[in-house]
Amino acid sequence: MSGSRLKRKLGDLGVDTSSRKANESFCLIGTPLPPLEKSKDTGEFVPLWKQDVRDEKGRRRLHGAFTGGFSAGYFNSVGSKEGWTPSTFVSSRGERAKQKAARPEDFMDEEDLQELKDSRVLVDTTDEMDFSGGNKVVAGDSEQDSIASALEASLLPPPTESAGARILKKMGWRLGQGIGPRITLRQRKLQDMEASFGSRITGDVINIPEDDEEGSKHTYAPRDTRILLVDRKDNAHGLGYHPGMGLNESLGVKGSNGPVGPKLAAGFGLGALNDADEDDLDVYDGGPNNNRRREAYDNVERADDENIVIGDNSGRSQKSQQRPASFTSIFRDGRPVLAGFIITNKPVSEDRWFPLPDVPKGWTPDPRRIWDKQQNKENIQKPAPSQAHGKWKSGISADERGSMLGETPLPSAPRSVFEFMSQKDRERLQKAASHTRQPPQGQGEDGSSSSMPPPRAPLPPDVIRIARTEPHIAQAALRGFQPFAADPTKQARYKVYLESQASQDSSTPSLKPTPGQRIDEFNKEVEDYAKAALLFKPMSGAMAGRFTSAAVIDHGPKIHEGLHTPSAEEIEKKEEEERQKAEDNISPKAHAAKISMYGPLTREIKPWQPAKLLCKRFGVKDPNPMPEAPADTPLATGTAASGSDVPQSEATASTSTSVFESSGTQRSGPKDLANVGLGEDDDQGRDTLTYERPEMDVYKAIFASDDEDSDDEEPAEEPENDTGENTVPLGQDQTEETAIKTPNALVELPPPDVPVDPSTFKPTFIPRDNKTKKSKDKGKEKERKEKRKKEKKTVLVSFEMDEEGGTVLATKPSKDRPKKKKRRDKGEGDDDDAMWVEKPAPNVVKDLPLAHPPSDTLVSPNGESADSATALQRGRKRAVDFL
Amino acid sequence: MTPSRILQQLPRSLHVSLENHKGSVNVARYAKGTAKYILTGGQDRSIRLWNASLGSEIKVFNAHGYEVLSITVSHDNAKFASSGGDRSVFLWDVASGVTTRRIAGHMGKIHVVEFNEDATVVASGSFDSTVRLWDLRAQSRQPIQVLEEARDAVQTLHVGSTNITTGSVDGHVRTYDLRKGELRSDYLGSPVTSAVPTQDSQTLLVTTLDSHIRLIDMTSGKMLNDFTAHKNNSYRCRACFGHAEATVICGDENGQIWAWDLLDAKVLHPSPPPKVHNKIITWTEHHPTDPNEMITASADGTVKVWRYSETD
Repeated sequence: MSGSRLKRKLGDLGVDTSSRKANESFCLIGTPLPPLEKSKDTGEFVPLWKQDVRDEKGRRRLHGAFTGGFSAGYFNSVGSKEGWTPSTFVSSRGERAKQKAARPEDFMDEEDLQELKDSRVLVDTTDEMDFSGGNKVVAGDSEQDSIASALEASLLPPPTESAGARILKKMGWRLGQGIGPRITLRQRKLQDMEASFGSRITGDVINIPEDDEEGSKHTYAPRDTRILLVDRKDNAHGLGYHPGMGLNESLGVKGSNGPVGPKLAAGFGLGALNDADEDDLDVYDGGPNNNRRREAYDNVERADDENIVIGDNSGRSQKSQQRPASFTSIFRDGRPVLAGFIITNKPVSEDRWFPLPDVPKGWTPDPRRIWDKQQNKENIQKPAPSQAHGKWKSGISADERGSMLGETPLPSAPRSVFEFMSQKDRERLQKAASHTRQPPQGQGEDGSSSSMPPPRAPLPPDVIRIARTEPHIAQAALRGFQPFAADPTKQARYKVYLESQASQDSSTPSLKPTPGQRIDEFNKEVEDYAKAALLFKPMSGAMAGRFTSAAVIDHGPKIHEGLHTPSAEEIEKKEEEERQKAEDNISPKAHAAKISMYGPLTREIKPWQPAKLLCKRFGVKDPNPMPEAPADTPLATGTAASGSDVPQSEATASTSTSVFESSGTQRSGPKDLANVGLGEDDDQGRDTLTYERPEMDVYKAIFASDDEDSDDEEPAEEPENDTGENTVPLGQDQTEETAIKTPNALVELPPPDVPVDPSTFKPTFIPRDNKTKKSKDKGKEKERKEKRKKEKKTVLVSFEMDEEGGTVLATKPSKDRPKKKKRRDKGEGDDDDAMWVEKPAPNVVKDLPLAHPPSDTLVSPNGESADSATALQRGRKRAVDFL
Repeated sequence: MTPSRILQQLPRSLHVSLENHKGSVNVARYAKGTAKYILTGGQDRSIRLWNASLGSEIKVFNAHGYEVLSITVSHDNAKFASSGGDRSVFLWDVASGVTTRRIAGHMGKIHVVEFNEDATVVASGSFDSTVRLWDLRAQSRQPIQVLEEARDAVQTLHVGSTNITTGSVDGHVRTYDLRKGELRSDYLGSPVTSAVPTQDSQTLLVTTLDSHIRLIDMTSGKMLNDFTAHKNNSYRCRACFGHAEATVICGDENGQIWAWDLLDAKVLHPSPPPKVHNKIITWTEHHPTDPNEMITASADGTVKVWRYSETD
């Protein structure tokens, strides 16, 4: 930009911009960079191949394939102004040339330097005390001899001296020494040997040479103990796992040490930046076992691959050695081996044959025996397999182990209501229970055991204990209620038990466990029976007389042995029952219909709301219109009621004071959404007109002057005059149209001849919608429709209304009275209308044939003006109402 | 007793048989006015216009994709509506023979369509147990109202001047009174297949699938008469009044045409009547004005025009 501006300036000055001098380049080295302005992001779309990377100064960053990452330096050359400049070596005696080593930083531009800076993040930011700082070096460098390392260790102070080291130093410890009391030479030598052999050596083995006499006079610091260096574990791998270890390696098999990552098919075209595509993956590379050579040509062992070996793949390595043999090998029968095949060393394993077992003499196949066995097995409870399953994984379960070790069992989820109770309640309950049942045991319980259900004394499982029942109780129970009636077998057993208990001698057989029933189960069953007998024995004495037993005792369904196939009678019976049941269930309505008792029993009457449009289509009045606003005067409603059906609604509509209300009557039915906005929509656009007129006080506060307040009180007398005049037409027998009109006229329409008192008169406005509606009443059905269209048009200019109202109200003060008078003088002609409604009345309205009777003097020949006048008056009345 | 009892001449002799339909004929309706023509609709998805006296086929209306189950003719004979398995009501222009409108909205096959008196509304009763009332004046795609009271398929429908009567498989006859704004539902106990009111709309002839035809007083819901003897257990066999509503005529599932006296519910002369159709008679309709003519449509694919002859 600047360049072009400069050029333009130069051009203005009269310099030839195209001359060579003007375009002279001051760039001596390299190619000039394109002007920086070009690098600005203009936001236009550039194809991918045209896009280039630029740094924050707008210089291009990547220059072709081999310069990636580095911005070109000074003037697009490698060198820079201060950086890589050739320098001459100057050295004099006075001033020795310092050997200036070129650092990599010298060849880096600011981006690289920045990168370098970024990469110099401390590996460990927490300053850790380095105990083994010195020793690490010693431990790490095995090539260095001990002296050198010791020297190094002593020369190089540990990077950070720990507090412990400092204390030790104060105590006389030196770097390189061990910690501990000073030892003799012999002991020290022992230590050395131990360190070198890695095992404890008894003192007898070593003999210290005699020349160390001097040495044995002194004591020495002990050798430094090598610190076992443990790699810090800072990854999430498992122990013993090295990242990048193959599956086989991890299993201990020496497998492929190939590169990790996706196996790529050998070939060119894969750059470092390229990801391994699916296409590049070698689909034929079958797992880690396959040690494929990654060579373009596999020329060396081509011959090997031709040998097909039946058997293991691992024998491949021996193939080359065996090759000479394979050429000469022949089968045992003398035929030569086919070319490309070799005889395997392994002999083909032969099938082993087992001799058939000897069938004992006289044995006959009897499968029944085996089946019986299996049948028995089915009945027998088999805890063994489940146990085996449980022990399959670990010998004992966690609970078992816990109990063995004497652990307190973990609190498990509460099992009974008891555990939700407070400790106190629990104790009390238990006390109560123990008192009734087993007093001694209840006393023995302490607090700790009470937290859990009292451990039941382990019963010997294989002892049959038959709970005792008093003979008289058993006898009573035998006569009484049969609790197990639903289960006949149980009932039978219960009976047997009771009988055995009742007789108390061995004459009756006592209850025995059923085959396959475990002892504890049996015990439990018998206990249940005993309880049941106690519970269900019939009441004795006086109590028994108070109750009567049920007439029908449920003996339960009769049980048939074997697979049940219902007979025809049973099915019939069942169906009959079902029919009976169905008959019982039917409603009285259905029952009445069944016996042909049609009438009130089968009839239901419900209210139903037909859609508004439906009523219209059927020419029926809406049966349940929305409750409309009460009419202005009772007189008006009375006259309206005399009208016929359809116009009546409109008549009542017209009597309602506000536009809002009148439109409300039109929308009495539920609004049909389907018709909204369509030609059939009566309410189209009407909603836009329904606005709330603000309170009169608001207008007054804004527009009225103070002296007018007194005037406002006067209109109260006016309605009287009006009604007086209007009673005249009402008294006559009117036609329908006049009846409709009267409500309008009723509302104190000022007689046109009577001069309006300017002080009392207050102009108001009404929505034009209302007006057209009133004229609608006069029209015939067809015209009404046209008018509706007009209505819609007026809707569009409905906003004028506000302005009119505003202006009219604004001109209310006495200053404007002369003007109003003038209007009055003119009469109620078209001017009148024009005064109030700026828009000319719809033509249809004007053309309306006015079918009002001549006697109706109140209505002017021009329906329009009369309407506006009535509207006026009606609006006025509202004002009165408000006051 | 009444003059109607004296002249109980039933159109019993076959005048002409209309046999162009393939498969069952489900509905046969007289045109309005002088009712010279018949419209029939059947299983073969076509609606045919016939000259009843000549027995000639005038026109075939093909647009339905499924069977035609119901036809209703407008008061001016200019259009008619039909419905059937394709879940929409088709409005036809008789002269051009094309559909002017297809009203979709029902979820099931539409068993019955009926215009109101001036064909501004068409009501359709469907297998989806609703009756939908469509406005024909507006182009709205939504029904004016949906009558959802029925608990099962609506089989029959009559649109009176101020009421709508529906008969449903749930055994109810429902009368929606627009004037009163109320719904009167009468339970009949078995599926209602047809409901035909008398001219004065005071009584209703209801056919149910328990082989009964009942004359119901619409004001009280009481049964005035019960006509039995025929067999009607599983199909819609529409019954109708004879001339001057002196008789009740119904074809049954055996192909017989039964007739009863309206007042004493006795089966009229040939009892049992001869079998005149090979299969069930689906529709019986008496000529609106001519005392001597009626039509029956049958599942055997024929529509028969019956007339009274002196020889009978």
